[in-house]
Amino acid sequence: MDYSIGKEQEMLRKSAREFFEKECPKEKVRELKTDPRAYDPKMWKKMVKLGFQGLAIPEEFGGMDGDFVELALFMEEVGRNIVPMPYYSTVALCALPLMAYGSDKQKEAFLPGIAEKGDIWTLAQTEDKGNNEASEIQLTAEEKDDTYLLNGTKIFVPYAHVATRMLVAARTSNEDDPQTGVTLFIVDPKHDGIRIEGIPTVARDGRCGVVFENVQVAKADILGPVDEGWDILDDIQQQGALLKAAEMSGGAQAAFEIVLAYAKERKQFDKPIGQYQAVQFRLVDMRTDLDSLKYMVRKAAWHIAAGKPSRLLNSAAKAKANEVYDNVGHYGIYLHGAIGWTEEMDIGLYHLRTRSMIYDCGGTDLHLEIIARELEEKVPDFIELWGSAS
Amino acid sequence: MEFQFGEKEERLRTEIREFVKAEMPPHYIGKYFEEETNDEDWAFSMAMSKKLAQKGWLTMSWPKEYGGMDASRWERVVFAEEASYWGIPGLGMGISGTAWVGPSLMLFGTEEQKKKYIPQIATGEPDGVWCTGYSEPDAGSDMAAMQTSAIRDGDAYVINGQKVWTSCAHYARWLWLACRTDPEAKKKHQGLSLIIVDMKSPGLTVRPLENYVGGHVFNELFFKDVRVPVKNLVGVEGKGWSQLMTALSFERGTAIGTTASAQRLLDELVIYTKGTGQIKQPEIRQKLARLAIDIEAARVMAHEVVWMETVGKPVLHEPSRDKAFGDMLQEKLGRIGSDIIGVFSQMDPAAYKNRWSRLRGAFEHLYHYNIGFAIAAGTTDTQRNIMGQFGLQLPRAY
Repeated sequence: MDYSIGKEQEMLRKSAREFFEKECPKEKVRELKTDPRAYDPKMWKKMVKLGFQGLAIPEEFGGMDGDFVELALFMEEVGRNIVPMPYYSTVALCALPLMAYGSDKQKEAFLPGIAEKGDIWTLAQTEDKGNNEASEIQLTAEEKDDTYLLNGTKIFVPYAHVATRMLVAARTSNEDDPQTGVTLFIVDPKHDGIRIEGIPTVARDGRCGVVFENVQVAKADILGPVDEGWDILDDIQQQGALLKAAEMSGGAQAAFEIVLAYAKERKQFDKPIGQYQAVQFRLVDMRTDLDSLKYMVRKAAWHIAAGKPSRLLNSAAKAKANEVYDNVGHYGIYLHGAIGWTEEMDIGLYHLRTRSMIYDCGGTDLHLEIIARELEEKVPDFIELWGSAS
Repeated sequence: MEFQFGEKEERLRTEIREFVKAEMPPHYIGKYFEEETNDEDWAFSMAMSKKLAQKGWLTMSWPKEYGGMDASRWERVVFAEEASYWGIPGLGMGISGTAWVGPSLMLFGTEEQKKKYIPQIATGEPDGVWCTGYSEPDAGSDMAAMQTSAIRDGDAYVINGQKVWTSCAHYARWLWLACRTDPEAKKKHQGLSLIIVDMKSPGLTVRPLENYVGGHVFNELFFKDVRVPVKNLVGVEGKGWSQLMTALSFERGTAIGTTASAQRLLDELVIYTKGTGQIKQPEIRQKLARLAIDIEAARVMAHEVVWMETVGKPVLHEPSRDKAFGDMLQEKLGRIGSDIIGVFSQMDPAAYKNRWSRLRGAFEHLYHYNIGFAIAAGTTDTQRNIMGQFGLQLPRAY
């Protein structure tokens, strides 16, 4: 058991932190709120030079061959600085499944583009039920000769408007079990028949509605086996949930530091407000939440890196992150008093992202249900030792 | 970074489970403070102390020369986890014996004291059962305000005064007593001493204190001219305060045990709700899942503290954090478990053998006793004060 951060991990953390502090100060975050691209292409290119997009991509495809723990530590830093960019959609939602499920040809064709050129990718999964469950995938893909025709609508797709490619979850057959019959397609968003429109989310984080009308996709552009795409989506959801939890852990930590500093400096009735027990206890409980979230995320990430992923640990980390980030954002503003509710304070920038982050790769209820299923299926130690009670 | 135990620790875990299978009644569930509440449970716990001693586990953290195993911190974690999960009773030798009396005697005791008392504890003898007298009616959190006095008279100290909340005094052979040997000392932290008192001494009265659910865990002690030989002084007369601080640091445990016992109770609830069909209800599923998250949160924090100790990082507010979080977890667990067993949760915890009691009374017990845990060893809110002051460097709120 070892909680320490290794030398290389520390170097990565430090370089990421310094880079984002320099390249993405809060003025930049504010500027990007009104920039339709919702990211800074110059900064994105600089990141390519530092190898950040290829962090977890194998060397043979132009990456740095980092492991999942490093990726999680990097996401903590992304969250700290609330950097608006298509990193999560490109790396967590697309590069990782390409690495795990792509054919050799697909990997050669796409991974170097992400690692070396900064190609932007995204995942089109959510539809109007909005629950991240298999049953909501209704966009149809009909077989026609050696192609499929895609028809339907995806929503809240991150950065589809600037993406080179999209992974699209479509229904290729209708079975009793909605988890069967889902297939993932690799699609160029500029393809004929695709219409993309921006969705005005409160975080202004490049979310799009994407309409597909008879979009023709070659069979060669299917990721993984036909009809068995849900397994891949489930994998994306588990790993993506954890990486989002890492981002939220870093973000909540930074937001907490802002409010803690304010509670020490702001005086009322001649005392720093942080001296009042009602304020202090809220801060103390936040600290406890942040400590546990940090290690829950790292522990789950370590298990993935070690090849023994745990659904319970992943989902516990995301469900915890959802509640902690929300709480720190909400009370972070509240504890500032009225000034915290204004545009000029940084704390609000963190809370603007709460709702989108909660639903990236599954909301709290979905992860609670995953945990419940794990509990239901696992044989507890005491039953293993003693058998069932009479 | 590595989030798994080593082979040595996992071997120990397997060995403990084999021991449990051989020595414990099937489906036994441990309950904190239960062993002190009645003679039958006490006898079982003493029998287990003896067996644990034979395995070397009773005092595994002690040096070999004192009957210990020199166990590593992570081995101790595994033992604490397993002992709590399976509810193995008899670990404490009256709570005080293994945790702080033994280790303090190793540091401050005379050769004669070490030879006499330490082996009694390490071998799990009834004569190795201790209780501890610190708190008084007017000295709670402000412990240095204690007034019980021990005045030198020839080769004896004569003790007068009163102690309170003394757990296990009704079974203990010896008392680890903090008292005032110099009533004239200028400051309250001065003139205090630690003295070993024979519980059979004339003039010493033990009055049981029942808790609000009728459980007899702690007691009041009354001293009327109790004579104790001078050789029973521990360490230096008048330097009791610094020795006490060391003893208290031994007492400050980790949250490893409470986390593992919560895991056991969650496992029990999962199996129970599968049996009743309640597990199919969405609100029950969510409650169980939330408990699993809290237990995981408690576990990563408890392990963090041990890791800090192994790498020599100073441990400051973290044990307070874990105590406060553990209190909250036990409260939730007690309430959720009681809601799940429903009408049966109104049973008297002491009547756990009654046919209407569920899960060996574990939740009836926890529901009432978790309030006591939240008060004991510094209330939840006292821990929050400590965290605010030392962990967050905020001005003292109290």
